[in-house]
Parts: sequence; C-alpha cells; structure tokens
Amino acid sequence: MRWLRYVIGLLLALTLHSLLDSFFPNALAFFNPYVILVVYYSMGGNVLGAIVAGVVAGFVQDAFSGAIFGLHAFSLTVCAYAVATINSRLVLRGTLPFAACLGGAVIVNELVIYILVNVLLRQKVEMFEQGLFVKTIFTLLFGVFVYQLLLLFLREEPIEATQRPMGW
Amino acid sequence: MAAPVDVIPRRPTLLFIVVLALLFVLMSLSTRTRYVGETRTLFERTVMMVFSPVPKLVNWVGGTGSDMYHGYLDMRRSVAENVSLHRKVADLTSENLKLRQTDSDLRRLRALLGYSEQFQLQTTMAEAIMLDTSSRFKSMVIDSGSASGVEVNDAVVNANGLIGRVVLTTKDMAKVQLVIDSNCSVGVLLERTRREGVLRGDGTRNAQLYDIPSLADVHPGDQLLTAGIDGIYPKGIPVGTVVTAEKGPELFKNILVKPSVDFGSIEEVIIIHTRKIPSAVQGYTP
Repeated sequence: MRWLRYVIGLLLALTLHSLLDSFFPNALAFFNPYVILVVYYSMGGNVLGAIVAGVVAGFVQDAFSGAIFGLHAFSLTVCAYAVATINSRLVLRGTLPFAACLGGAVIVNELVIYILVNVLLRQKVEMFEQGLFVKTIFTLLFGVFVYQLLLLFLREEPIEATQRPMGW
Repeated sequence: MAAPVDVIPRRPTLLFIVVLALLFVLMSLSTRTRYVGETRTLFERTVMMVFSPVPKLVNWVGGTGSDMYHGYLDMRRSVAENVSLHRKVADLTSENLKLRQTDSDLRRLRALLGYSEQFQLQTTMAEAIMLDTSSRFKSMVIDSGSASGVEVNDAVVNANGLIGRVVLTTKDMAKVQLVIDSNCSVGVLLERTRREGVLRGDGTRNAQLYDIPSLADVHPGDQLLTAGIDGIYPKGIPVGTVVTAEKGPELFKNILVKPSVDFGSIEEVIIIHTRKIPSAVQGYTP
C-alpha cells in the first residue's frame, strides 16, 4: 500500500514536471517536486525503502531532463538516506520538522549536483548561490503546502510513520 | 545445513554505499558516451518508455484544452478573415503562377550552368511536449520517435532556425539536446564574411562563438548559419546573431551570440534526417 502511494506521488511529480516543462519552461529552476516526494517518503524512517525511493525518483527525473543519466538519482538517494537515517533515530513529526528536513534536503541535493557537475563535466555552475536560495524557498513553500493538504485530507503522517523497521 | 543468505544487506549503510558507487559508475559511463550513439541509453530509454504515457497525457490534455479555447477565439476571428483571405487567394494564385515560371527558368539555367540540384533531405514534423531550459542541461522531449524514422543525431529546426539534435529515441518519443546546452557544439559560419567557427552553448539562453581569430572581421548583428562541416547539421540553417564581439585575452575573439530561436516558446519542430556523421567522429569519446 505504501509503495502504491509512492508510485502515485511519483506519477504526480512527473505530471507536474511535464506540465511545467510544457507551459512554463523555467519553472523547474524554482522548485523540485521530486525532492518533496522523496523527503515525504523518507520521513517514515525506513532507510532501505528511502534509498529505493530516491533512486527511482531520480531515474525518472533524469530520464525526462537533459542531465547526465544518474545525476539526480545520486543526489536524491543521498537526500533520502540522510532524511531516513535521521528519522530512524529521532521521531520527527509535524510541519516544522518536515520543513526543516525538506529545506536541508534541497540544499544537500543542489550541493551534490554542483559537486558532481564540477567533478564529471568540469563545468562551472553559474549563479549557484542565487539558484540554491530561490529553489530552497519555493520548494519549501510548495512542500509545506502539499504536506498540509495531505494532513488535511488523508489525516496521516508521512508514509510508514507508525511502522518502524525492525532492527534498524 | 547451510545458513540462509540475506539477499538484502542488514546494514542499509552498506547498501547505500553500494548504490552510490553503482550510480557513480553509471554517471561516468553516461558522461563518456554522452556525445556518441545510444549504447549507454538502454536503461534510460527503458525508464523513459515506461513513464512516457504521463507527459503524453499531460500534453494531450493541455493541448486539447488550449485548442478548445483558441478554437473558440479563432472562430470569431475567422469569419472576418475569410473574406480578406478570399481576395488574397486570388492575388497569390497569380503570383504562384509567376513563381512557377521563375522556378522552371531557374532549373533550366542551373542545368545550363552545370549546377547539380541540392538533394532533398527527408523531414518529419513533431511537437515539443517537454522543454527543459531551466536546468544546467538544456533539452527538449518531442512526440516523435524511432517509429517515425527519427534517429540519433538528426537535426531539429523550426521556422526561426536551428534548435538542436536528437540524442535519444524511444519508439514514440525523442530527446533533443538544445544548441544552448553547454555540451552542444555546432560548426557555423558568418553569413557576411563566410568565416567558420564553432558555436557552443554557455549554459544560459545564449551561446559563445569560438575559434574566430582576433583580427577577423566580426561585428554585432552579423548572422550565423550552420556550416555543414560537423556531419550533423545541414549547411545554411540560421543559428543566431552576434551580440558582442570583443578581443579576447589570447589569439581569438570573445563572441556572444543570441540564438535565432526563442527557446522559451517552441511548439512544432521539424526533424531533418541527416545521419551522415563520419565514422571517425562516431568513435570519438571525450
């Protein structure tokens, strides 16, 4: 069931991605729907599931963007692992912890991409700090909005919030 | 009795490291073969194919809604236009007859001069369904793929000029690398002076022209056309306009070029089936 919800979330993220690419080609410079999905899933604290969720969401983002294939998969996996590891040790629930995790994940995601682009392509990324700032703010705003909607309509915490994995 | 073996490691950290290592290898392979052929893209193509109904559906819904709205507006305008168009048709018909005559004269004169007719390149029309110009990698997804005869390295243009080249195909979609992508290079020539150079995207909405000597005659406003020397783009397609041409620190000029295509509003595109990359270039790995 939890995977079904993840798949639906992934399809919605891809729908948003295609919608914005079709009608507002620059909008994805301002926020990243895949990070929101991965953070929401990883808040459950299941590290293994979070890694898989990060890889799959990253591959989908890579397939429909011009990036090196695997770039977003790498960065989202790092974010997913970090958020899930923190949440497997600390019980973070509510809007503020979600916003903190999301903000941190966006920053980590952008930093990982920045480093990989420098390492693999030896390219300078223009206006990195400004882009990072804007993307963090807008992703946070949109992510918190989505989180509130989910709380309102589904009346539940992030996926797996009440199901701690055994032994991890 | 042998102990059961865990397929999934109990320590997720180990799995995490293994996954990152595999992804890094995948990225390295992608980077190495980014410019040549489709060997690296089997997995990428599969992911794209699995999820392709989503962007297609979004595009269909958006297109249908837009068509209905514009259809209503157009219907109101079309009545008035229809009258004026009838008049224009009469004018254009007579003009067309004159041009046909001119064309046949031109063919006859060319034959007399011994010029060969330019071969006709096959083309396919397609529609842009995803346009990614916001990230560092500029690309576009179009709704025609290998089933329509689209192949890797086919040139993509529209009425304004050069858009890019196909870098990946699935059965019914293709990914296009835009000329403003910093990994894209195009052999170009200045229309006025016929000086050849290499155009490369600068990661923004513009591009840089390289390999133009400091003493070369280049001015803002000069038009750039494809040179047809790179084996991908046919000669003579408009590429852009020189914005600034300054003396560089070394032997070459720093030239900023504004592409002739507005990459913010691409809808229909034409795919030119060129497929004449020299084997030496195909084997090249950067």
